[in-house]
Amino acid sequence: MMAQATRSRSKLFWDVASYALLLLLAFICIAPIVWTFLTSIKFEADIVTREMHYIPPRVTFENYVRLWNQSSYPVLVLNSLVVTSVTVLICLFTGTIASYAFSRFQFRGRTELMLGYLVVRMFPAVLMIIPLFIVMRQVGLLDSTIGLAIAYTSFLLPLFVWMLKGFFDAAPKELESAARIDGTTRLGAMFRIVIPIARNGLLATCVFVAIAAWNEFLFALMLTTSQGSRTWPVGLQLMVGEFQLPWGMLAAGGMISILPVVVLFAIVQRAMVAGITAGAVKG
Amino acid sequence: MISPIDRRTVLKWGGGMLGASALMPRLAFGQQTSINYWHTFTSQSEFAGLEAVMAQFASAHPDINVIQENIPNPEFMAKITAAVVGGGRPDVTMVASERFADLRAMGALVDLTDRIASWERRGDFEDARFASITSEDGAVYGVPAFAFVDWMYYRKDWFDEAGLSAPTTLDEMLVAAQTLTDPAKGRYGFGMRGGAGGQAFVVNLMEAFGSPVLSNGEIGLDRDRAIEAVRWYAGLLTEHGVVPPSAPNDGFRQIMEAFQTGQTAMVWHHTGSFRDISGFLEPGVEFATAPIPAGPAARVARLGYAYNAMSSDANADAAWEWIKFWGEPDAAVALLEATGYFPASTVAAQDERISGNPLYAPAAETLGFGLPQPSFPGFAGWSESVVLPAFQRVLIGDATPEQAVDEMIDGLAAAVG
Amino acid sequence: MSRTFLPAPYGPPRTVWDRINPVRLIGELSETRYWMYLLLLPSALLITAVVLYPTLYGMQMSFREMRLNRPDLGTGFVGLRHYERMLSDPVFWVSLRNTAVWVTFSIVIEFVVGLIAALALNRNLPGTKVLAVLILLPYFLPNVVAGHMWALMLDPRLGVINDLLVRIGLLEGYKAWFADPGTAMAAAIVVEAWHSFPFFTLLLLAGLKGIPTDLYKAADIDGAGPFAQLRLITLPMLRTIIAAAVILRVIGLVNSPDLLLILTSGGPGRSTQVLSLYAFQTAYRDFNFGYAGALSVVMFVFLMVFAWAYIRITKVNQE
Repeated sequence: MMAQATRSRSKLFWDVASYALLLLLAFICIAPIVWTFLTSIKFEADIVTREMHYIPPRVTFENYVRLWNQSSYPVLVLNSLVVTSVTVLICLFTGTIASYAFSRFQFRGRTELMLGYLVVRMFPAVLMIIPLFIVMRQVGLLDSTIGLAIAYTSFLLPLFVWMLKGFFDAAPKELESAARIDGTTRLGAMFRIVIPIARNGLLATCVFVAIAAWNEFLFALMLTTSQGSRTWPVGLQLMVGEFQLPWGMLAAGGMISILPVVVLFAIVQRAMVAGITAGAVKG
Repeated sequence: MISPIDRRTVLKWGGGMLGASALMPRLAFGQQTSINYWHTFTSQSEFAGLEAVMAQFASAHPDINVIQENIPNPEFMAKITAAVVGGGRPDVTMVASERFADLRAMGALVDLTDRIASWERRGDFEDARFASITSEDGAVYGVPAFAFVDWMYYRKDWFDEAGLSAPTTLDEMLVAAQTLTDPAKGRYGFGMRGGAGGQAFVVNLMEAFGSPVLSNGEIGLDRDRAIEAVRWYAGLLTEHGVVPPSAPNDGFRQIMEAFQTGQTAMVWHHTGSFRDISGFLEPGVEFATAPIPAGPAARVARLGYAYNAMSSDANADAAWEWIKFWGEPDAAVALLEATGYFPASTVAAQDERISGNPLYAPAAETLGFGLPQPSFPGFAGWSESVVLPAFQRVLIGDATPEQAVDEMIDGLAAAVG
Repeated sequence: MSRTFLPAPYGPPRTVWDRINPVRLIGELSETRYWMYLLLLPSALLITAVVLYPTLYGMQMSFREMRLNRPDLGTGFVGLRHYERMLSDPVFWVSLRNTAVWVTFSIVIEFVVGLIAALALNRNLPGTKVLAVLILLPYFLPNVVAGHMWALMLDPRLGVINDLLVRIGLLEGYKAWFADPGTAMAAAIVVEAWHSFPFFTLLLLAGLKGIPTDLYKAADIDGAGPFAQLRLITLPMLRTIIAAAVILRVIGLVNSPDLLLILTSGGPGRSTQVLSLYAFQTAYRDFNFGYAGALSVVMFVFLMVFAWAYIRITKVNQE
């Protein structure tokens, strides 16, 4: 009885602490974004001023309108969507099986290969741009969304494989062994047992790759030139003029660059929650 | 003086831009040549100006289709470097004065000497306009599209109140700055650009104190005079406290915001920010313009130009039509009306809209004595990667002016050695 | 996995369909000794095709004279000259030290905050799912946006953070955070940590979901407190995920100059100059690709050594 009372009091303490902490963290995370939003609906004269306006004295949506018209946002976002989806798809197809191999098999050269995958990310991108530019030009993929997606994939695959390996490692091996004893092939075990168990991890990993591809700037800038293949972060950077820096527009740009990601995440989040509950029972 | 931009035109054009650029190559009638144009225009007003010039060009040359591609200014050099090394150059590119030496050295530009010599509008431009796009062996690589004239903006209302007139020398400027500085009111005499882009003023001041980095083809610094210059300039913060304490990180945006919000009394920049400041302070009443004050050895104000130059000669004739079109007075005035950028052509500069405005008089005056940027391969990199950090170290008390100048001299040797 | 205890999954092919059925064929392939190599093939091919040449090209540049704006110097082979120069280059040493500070503090803060957030979220308290989305939001912002936003909030004139600190009496006047060498790096690290700690939260949270709850129930019965559970169950179970996340994040922090480029460009003085920024500026400002290549190779070697040592120490390669 005593022990139980202590435990429930301790649980209460940790519950309260968790709430307090999460609220604080959420505040820290969201406050700058709220501030960006408030900035985006202010007139420039209320931003560049000596008095701090916490509540915008006048509200305007001019910044959004100007941004929309000046940046051809729909095309930029469409390009970003294409690049991101292609990147995620290629990663899913090639990365999942690679990650499974690293997680489930001991073989010669495994450590070296794993390190090899990481090495790819280690050489500073800054210096790879020009040779990559030459390669892409030779194969005719310069200034195309597909070319950009392939470049992204090769850099994001290591991230994908390494992260997913962690989740595969965490998936219990007993179910797999049981299935194997029942006569399932390794292929069958991989697709029917291991991947479904690790699907939360798979989802989280895809989210990372998607975000990284969505937000990438340097490669996108260097490997595309025309409006037809430019991505959103490059379009955004173009608004930051040399002799003019409209804060309101920049803030509006920040707000609408979150939008598609939040929508995507909202969809994934639902799937994740569903996956988590289901996975907990099975796993 | 400058008509407000017609918002609807801009919106229509902005929205139509994409569709137009995507469709036009296919709609080509007859023998249409397409040329790519790389530029660093970004703001709405700059785009309005570009659109006006492009529209004029389209009606004058229906057979040439200009495909404009805007490149973010900070990444411009990286982008064009990749295009030069890896292939895929634009036909025409905008070249700012300070970038010319490096671009030419890496072989990014096509020699236009002969075309320019036989150009019917060559006489509209003074020879000096081409100085920053001419190589040491006399080859000319571009046509000036517009000019940036260095000058000073000052708070006329504060100066009048304190009984001061616009300073003509650096000594007078210091006195004025001291008079107007009042940290209790959050007011400082001068907005120093000690952050990004501030290197140009350090180089200018060294020259004003008698240590030009390039004179008669000789590259080098006069150590003692350079030290004096750095001591004087950094002293505005460290000794006199007449600039805001944020100076070591203040770039263009910060010095402009400080001036626009009434926290500084004077600021150095060029003619390109006139319109922006006019949006916050009333021209002629709250603020006015003056030439850059003279130093003990020289009065150094730069005349910078944005040139248009040929990068690929694949469509040389069409590219040349576009390059020289920017020298037409109509095009220059259209750009000025949209952006406020000063025309480079003498004929255009005599336009009533410019000569009739007293606030532009200091710019006209500066055109008389202003100097081109020093120009040699490695200069831009040296001033940005060595001069600025070394100067900042003096500002933050991490180095003495002597140490900073020695660092600059060593860096210069490494840059050109 | 040993095959001796397992029955053969397929008998000999009986029909034509058995001979061409792709699922069956791949299934049979999966029983061969080469299966794991086949699984690795597509990704390895892709990576090699895209990355190998650029990397080798970048490396060989470091042994050459390659100053694009000085064609008179040619592009000859200069051996180790760039590396020798590095030894006596004060900017290199300053950048190295700053890189160490930048990476160490950022990673520690991001990991600790990320872990705490993941643990709190994993308690599945009612209403915290919404908080989870809010907490992950910063990571969704492009560097460009995050950098400019914070530049505005920390601005010495327009910054809301300065205003708040003055109002609550912590500051006497607005402070120019990025103009003071004593605070510039710290301020940049705060921005970086804010932007990237959700990377750890999301990964660790997904990892925590995979830990069987029975383990905790058993620990509860044994009377293990929350800290003992964290040390004995949670952290060991998350070992490989933590290792992967730390290595990937360290690589990102060492190699990416974006945020510092926007916030400080390495200033004031050189107080926030890091190696990635130095290599970027050497390449695209000074056009000295040879020296920039050498700087990159050095960063690359540091990262290799770090990753190798880290993998050895944490033993993530053994499962």
